[in-house]
Amino acid sequence: MKKSDTPVKIRSNVEDMVRKTMKDFVDKEVIPIAREYDEQAKFPDHLFKQLGDMGLFGIRYPRDAGGSGGNTTLYCIAMQELARGLMSLGATVAMQCLMATNGLYLYGTPELHERYLYPALKGEKKGAFQLTEPDAGSDLKAVSTRATRTADGWVINGMKTWATSGPRADFHTVLCQTDPSKGLKGLGFFLVPSDTPGFSFSKPFDLLGTRSSSISEIYFSDCHIPAHHHLGQEGQGLSVLLKILAEIRIMTASLALGLHRAAMDDSVQYCKQRTAFGQPIGNYQLIQAKIANMAVNLEAGQLMVDKVTHLIDNGRSCLNEASMAKYFTVESACAAADEATRIFGGYAYSMEYSVQRYYRDNRFLLYGGGTHEVLQTTIGREILSK
Amino acid sequence: MKLVVLVKQVPNTTRVKLDPKTGNLIREGLESIVNPDDLHALEAALGIKEETGGTVTALSMGPPQAVDALTQAIGMGADKGILLCDRAFAGADTWATSLTLSRAIRKLGEVDLIICGHQAIDGDTAQIGPQVADWLGLAQATYVKEIEHLTPADPDKPGKPGEIIVKRRLENGVERLACQLPALVTVIKELNQPRYAHMERLITACTDKADILVWNAADIGVNTCDVGLEGSNTHVIKTFTPNFKRQKEILEGSRQEVVAELFDRLKKSDTTLSGKFQGRPS
Repeated sequence: MKKSDTPVKIRSNVEDMVRKTMKDFVDKEVIPIAREYDEQAKFPDHLFKQLGDMGLFGIRYPRDAGGSGGNTTLYCIAMQELARGLMSLGATVAMQCLMATNGLYLYGTPELHERYLYPALKGEKKGAFQLTEPDAGSDLKAVSTRATRTADGWVINGMKTWATSGPRADFHTVLCQTDPSKGLKGLGFFLVPSDTPGFSFSKPFDLLGTRSSSISEIYFSDCHIPAHHHLGQEGQGLSVLLKILAEIRIMTASLALGLHRAAMDDSVQYCKQRTAFGQPIGNYQLIQAKIANMAVNLEAGQLMVDKVTHLIDNGRSCLNEASMAKYFTVESACAAADEATRIFGGYAYSMEYSVQRYYRDNRFLLYGGGTHEVLQTTIGREILSK
Repeated sequence: MKLVVLVKQVPNTTRVKLDPKTGNLIREGLESIVNPDDLHALEAALGIKEETGGTVTALSMGPPQAVDALTQAIGMGADKGILLCDRAFAGADTWATSLTLSRAIRKLGEVDLIICGHQAIDGDTAQIGPQVADWLGLAQATYVKEIEHLTPADPDKPGKPGEIIVKRRLENGVERLACQLPALVTVIKELNQPRYAHMERLITACTDKADILVWNAADIGVNTCDVGLEGSNTHVIKTFTPNFKRQKEILEGSRQEVVAELFDRLKKSDTTLSGKFQGRPS
């Protein structure tokens, strides 16, 4: 036997390792507390901090920006696992990693990075993304929160709603209209710290699902911010958003995959334990058909998500593919949660089992990242335009 | 301090199934994890490194895919990983495994402390740690639940070794033990709460930048006849799940009659219990 003159290189697959690490975290830390936190509409702050210590919030940012040097694929794998444990946690973390911090990362000054970005990536500060308004969501032209230029900065006035972590965040990336006469070309993103005078929020909403996340109305009343809090150039708000729109949609699809996986795992386990007419219900063909449909849709959705994250990581534009993946995975997750409640029968109607939570939480996915009514329109229009 | 942690990749035994016909482990689709006690060993080493400085080397023996255990170790904070990977190492019992591991540690040069989990969940022998210590001629403390004190050797005072004071979990209590460094300790889960891998470190650990070496039999200077199946003194003939069948019988009669009958049966039966029953119940 010769000594190994040329060192043998054996390395782990990074995607497998990130999934394994996150799966371990979710199995040990998240699943055991998910029911309690959902029931009490309480956010697991300790887990948020722990994920910050693990460098998860920087997973899609380069190392020189305080990130972990990963990419969209790894980010989405992590979100799939977190959503499998508790959708509220997945949604909040997804926001922190992407929408709440991306504008800051791309356009923030070194001082803003020091003050907000780096602490956010460590989990020491929480961010929120303020886009939706009572009368504006997918229809961005209708955004009415105003940013008005002053001698030394900007003044923000208006109201936002439905932003995850809104009332608990330390800073907000806010979409504002700078010049109503310019329509979409007048949009811009602004960083508004929660300690800015004039910033306030309503009582958090009593939610049907994702009850551990904190959502409320947010009010900006003459909030003065310095000029460098404008993230990007004037009128570039739409392009800032479009830069990450595919990623927002594929992140939402990843959350759907996680919920779908949870519904299927629970169903499979239950089918093996629950007996009817002297045998496990998994022996019956109608139950097998439900499991088969869940599995096929999960597999197909996973392939769609993997394709889109690969395209994003290779700098390819893929907004329509991301929209399709979001539409398909979320509808599949809703169907899987529904089927799970049928497999569990009466027990699904009890708060004791998690399937009722999956059934409630999946509604969140229908609205975030674009409603399916809007997505079907844009997907169809895009295909027909070619 | 130069710390070495032994880590083993094991099947997640919460989901282990044995083939009822062959008695072999059904490995298909089985998830591999780092042996849980080894994570406590790693955490202990990382804690010591953070307090006193030094390096942590994770050492594992196994097939190529066992590199995942080292990747996780580096993700958690270890500086370096060494995988002992050679077909000649396959099929090793604890004797051959501990010989292989100890030779690799010897190749690493002077080591202050070796930390291992007290046993692996797939073998449950708890022999590797003590055997490695024996091969290397080191002091050892097993079943460590607390590292009370650790004094590294002072380079300015040659001849004065470092010292470790630990608390060992015994069946009926706790033993406080001091031993000179270098030493080997095996740890139990009460010791600490292992951290999770940090994403940046984990991602880097999967690249060529990671300090992970692969050593074969020649690299550590062992003869292939001394390691693996050939070098093993024990051989597993069969693994099986014991088939316990309850032979229940319901005794009928009054309470006195039933107890008397039960007592007589126990006395007559060839069990260790029978010897303890000297008198009739009142």
